[in-house]
Amino acid sequence: MSITQLIDHQLIELDLAGDSKDAILQELVELIAENGALNDRHQFLSDLQKREQESSTGVGFEIAIPHGKSTGVDETKIAVGRNLSGVEWASLDGEPVQLVFLIAVPAEASGDEHLKILQQLSRKLMDDDFRNALKQAETKDNMLNTLSQID
Amino acid sequence: MKLVAITSCPNGIAHTYMAAEKLNKAAEAKGIDITVETQGSIGVENELTEEAIASADGVVIAADKTVDKTRFAGKPVLEVASADAIRRADELLEQFENGEVEVYGEKSGKQQAQETINEEKQKKKRKQNPIYRHLMNGVSYMIPFVVVGGLLIAISLSLGGESTPDGLQIPEDSFWSSINQLGGAAFQFMVPILAGFIAMSIADRPGLAPGMVGGYVAANGSFYGSDAGAGFIGGIIAGFIAGYIARWIKNVKVPEMIQPIMPILIIPIAASLAVGLIFIFILGSPIAGIMEGLSSWLEGMQGSSRILLGIILGAMITFDMGGPVNKVAFLFGAALITEGQPEIMGAIAAAICTPPLGMGLASLINKRRYAKDEQEAGKAAVAMGLVGITEGAIPFAAADPLRVIPSIMVGGMSAGAIAMMGGVADNVPHGGPVVAVFGAIDNVLMFFLAIIVGTIITAILANVLKKSKVVEEA
Repeated sequence: MSITQLIDHQLIELDLAGDSKDAILQELVELIAENGALNDRHQFLSDLQKREQESSTGVGFEIAIPHGKSTGVDETKIAVGRNLSGVEWASLDGEPVQLVFLIAVPAEASGDEHLKILQQLSRKLMDDDFRNALKQAETKDNMLNTLSQID
Repeated sequence: MKLVAITSCPNGIAHTYMAAEKLNKAAEAKGIDITVETQGSIGVENELTEEAIASADGVVIAADKTVDKTRFAGKPVLEVASADAIRRADELLEQFENGEVEVYGEKSGKQQAQETINEEKQKKKRKQNPIYRHLMNGVSYMIPFVVVGGLLIAISLSLGGESTPDGLQIPEDSFWSSINQLGGAAFQFMVPILAGFIAMSIADRPGLAPGMVGGYVAANGSFYGSDAGAGFIGGIIAGFIAGYIARWIKNVKVPEMIQPIMPILIIPIAASLAVGLIFIFILGSPIAGIMEGLSSWLEGMQGSSRILLGIILGAMITFDMGGPVNKVAFLFGAALITEGQPEIMGAIAAAICTPPLGMGLASLINKRRYAKDEQEAGKAAVAMGLVGITEGAIPFAAADPLRVIPSIMVGGMSAGAIAMMGGVADNVPHGGPVVAVFGAIDNVLMFFLAIIVGTIITAILANVLKKSKVVEEA
C-alpha cells in the first residue's frame, strides 16, 4: 500500500475557503464525503470535534492534523487543505495553521497497513524540508509528488 | 548519553509518531542515543528491551494515558504529554543533560507513599460514580457564592443586627443593611449556580442555561404557588434533569443545516423549557402540599412529648437547610414564640447552627476527607454557624448528600433534644450562638451545651461515614 491509495487530487485543496477551524473541518470532511469514504459525516465530524476537545491537534510548525477513528468512516482517507494566510487553531505554539491534514480512519479496519502510512506521514511532518515543500507546492501534482516521498 | 522513551496518544494515529520522530531528531542533533517505543493504534512497536532499559541513563514518557512505570524503577523518569515532546523535545532532553530529572522509585518513603496514595486516588476517581462527579462540579462553583453570601450576612448581622420580636433585624437605612443585601444577592445565585454547573458537567456548555434556569425555578416557590422554594435539594434535581435532557437532545440526529445552531439555540431553549415546565407543573406543586401537610402535622404534635418534638424539629431544620422542610419547622417555631412557647424556637435555634458548625469542625479535624475548596468552605461555615446561617453546610450536603445529610440530621436532632430537655427558650426567630449574645436566650448554658454536643456528633458522624470515600486532590 502506498500513500496514493489514501489521497488523490480530489482530496487536496490548495486554497481553503474557510478561515476558521470549524469551517475548515467541515470543508475537508466534505471532500472526504464526496470521495465516498464516509457513511455518516455527522458522526465523523462529531468524533473529530471530540478529539479536538481532548487536546488541540494544532501540533505547531503551522500544521494541524485533525483525525478521528469513527464509525462514520468506511475507508481510511487523508484530505489536505492549505490556507497560506494562516488560521487560528489553538495550536500548542500559538501560531496560526497553514496546512491541515484531516485523517479519517474507520473505527474497525482490517489490517494495519493504512495505519503504518499514517505513521510515516506523521513522522515525515516533523521534517522541515518536507513541510516547506508542501507549503510551496504550486499544483496538486506537486503536492502529491511530495507526499509520495512517503513509502 | 543513552535514553529510552515511550510515546502514546489518545487515538494512536498521529501524535504518538510525531512525538517519537521529534525525540529521535532532537536526540540525534545532540548526539544522544535514544530508543523510542511507540504505543499507537498499530500496537506497541519498537518495544524497549530489558537490556535497553538497563543501560539507559533516563526515560522519557510522552504519553496522554497512563504508562506502567514499574520497569523503570531507579531511573530518572520524565513524564510529559505527547504534545510536549512534539513542541519542545530539545528542552526535555536538556533536562536529562543537566541532571534535573528525578529518579523514579527512589524517593523518600513518605513521598513514595504519597505517590501510591495519589495513584490509588486517581484510580478511584476514574471509577468514581459520575453522579458524584457532576455534584462536585456544581458544588465547587457554588462554594464562592455560599462563602460570599454567608460571610457578608454574618458580618452585617453580628455588627449591625438588633434583636427584635421579628428576629434579628438590621435597621433598613443602615450601612449594614446594604452589606446584608449584597450577601443576600450572592445567596440568590447559590442554587442556580449549583444546578447550572451540575448540568454543565453532564452536557457541557449547552447544559449551563437550562441548569441555571431550572435551579432558579427550583429555588423560587412563587413559580409553583409555594411559600418556599425547593432549596438546594430541588436545585440538585433541577441540575440533573436539565443536564440529562440537554445531553439527550444533543444525541438526537438532526439535519446538517440545523446542526450549527444546536448547541447555542435548540438545546438550551428546549432543555430550559423542559426543566422549567417539569418543575412548575410536576415537581413544584407537591412541594406546597408537602409543606401544608408538615405544618398541620407539627401542630398536631404540640401536645406530645417535648423531647420528641425537639428531635423532630432538629431533623427538619437540618434536613434541607433553607428548603421547604426547614422552612416549615422554622415558621412553626417562630409562630409559637408569640403564643408564649419560646422553648420550641429554643430547640430550633440550637439545631439550626449545628450543620455548618459540625461540617466546619469535621473538615478541620480530618482534612483528608475534604477537597481543598471544601476545607476553605469549612472555615467559612464555622463563621456562618456562629450567626445561625445554616446554609453554610450546603456545599458539604450537596457534594455528598447520602453521607452528610444523615450526619447533620442526627446532630441537629441531638441539639434539639438537649435544648428541649434543658428548657432553652429563644424569644427571637433566629438561631445560633449570636442569639445568646443578643440576650434573647433563656438558659444559655444548656443552649450552648446543646450546640456543642450537636456539633461534635455531626462532625464525628460525617467523618466516620466519609471513611469509605476518597476525595480527589484539588
